[in-house]
Amino acid sequence: MKFTDIKNLIIGSLDADADTKEVSRQLENSGAVFGFREGFADKVLDRIYSTGMKVSREVDYLRSMNFVFYRIALTGLAAIIVLLISIYLKEGSLSMNSFLGLNDSNAESIICLLTGN
Amino acid sequence: MIKGSYSSSEDSELVRATLNGDKEAFGTIVLRYQSMVARTVKGMLGDSVYTEDIGQEVFIKLYNSLADFRGDSKLSTYIQRIAVNLTLSEIKRRKRFFSMFSQTGNNAMFEYEVHESDGEGRAEATEIVHKALQALEPKFRIIVTMRMLQGYSTKETAEILNLPLGTVLSRLSRAQEQLKQILKNYQV
Repeated sequence: MKFTDIKNLIIGSLDADADTKEVSRQLENSGAVFGFREGFADKVLDRIYSTGMKVSREVDYLRSMNFVFYRIALTGLAAIIVLLISIYLKEGSLSMNSFLGLNDSNAESIICLLTGN
Repeated sequence: MIKGSYSSSEDSELVRATLNGDKEAFGTIVLRYQSMVARTVKGMLGDSVYTEDIGQEVFIKLYNSLADFRGDSKLSTYIQRIAVNLTLSEIKRRKRFFSMFSQTGNNAMFEYEVHESDGEGRAEATEIVHKALQALEPKFRIIVTMRMLQGYSTKETAEILNLPLGTVLSRLSRAQEQLKQILKNYQV
């Protein structure tokens, strides 16, 4: 197949109504063959059914754990930020008393709160 | 070495047998779909020595996720999605790597072997297709690969890539324009 024919085939394959199966067949006939080397399937099976697979599964597991750790850590961080913002909006400051909820209370009201009288 | 005892079996039977630990059944799946995976991986990444590793990864990932395959779609579609996802991840990974450690830009990452011509223009055909594909942006390249090399229709391409039909159509038209420009300047 000539260069111009291949060129037209490539461009024509992108027409919305092109017969793509025919294009792919013609390209293959012209020599544009995409395949793996001989023994590819045996190599895949060796990798899966040998001990190497166990190692790669362990690596996958560790990667997943790493991912989970970051997700949890980020969620926790987001919760702390939301908590700080809500304390600041409610109490007007980020002092220790604000954290403990003691900002606007005096000794008498604390005793009242603790004893119930 | 894989024997041929499963060669005429349905995909569903092969999946069941693989899940029951039958190595030969999975070998038959690999033999049946390796050309399809090769077209996607080599179309996307070029004909470099690394593409075979990516091809192997596709089948290893398939093996590990076979228990999750419910049979809602065809096995070929399921494998195709794995191949597309892995090649796109590989492109991103290489882009990151080259942008960090190299000043050579993107062109260096898609190397391919130039084959000797066999006198019938076969090597040229492969080379033209490779060059044309590698000059496209990945988002266009994947669509061209699905249609030109795999022979999928627009609807099937949209389904495999999980994209709206309109997006596939607009990318097709833009890819076609790009390809015309690329091939206009290309000389054998």
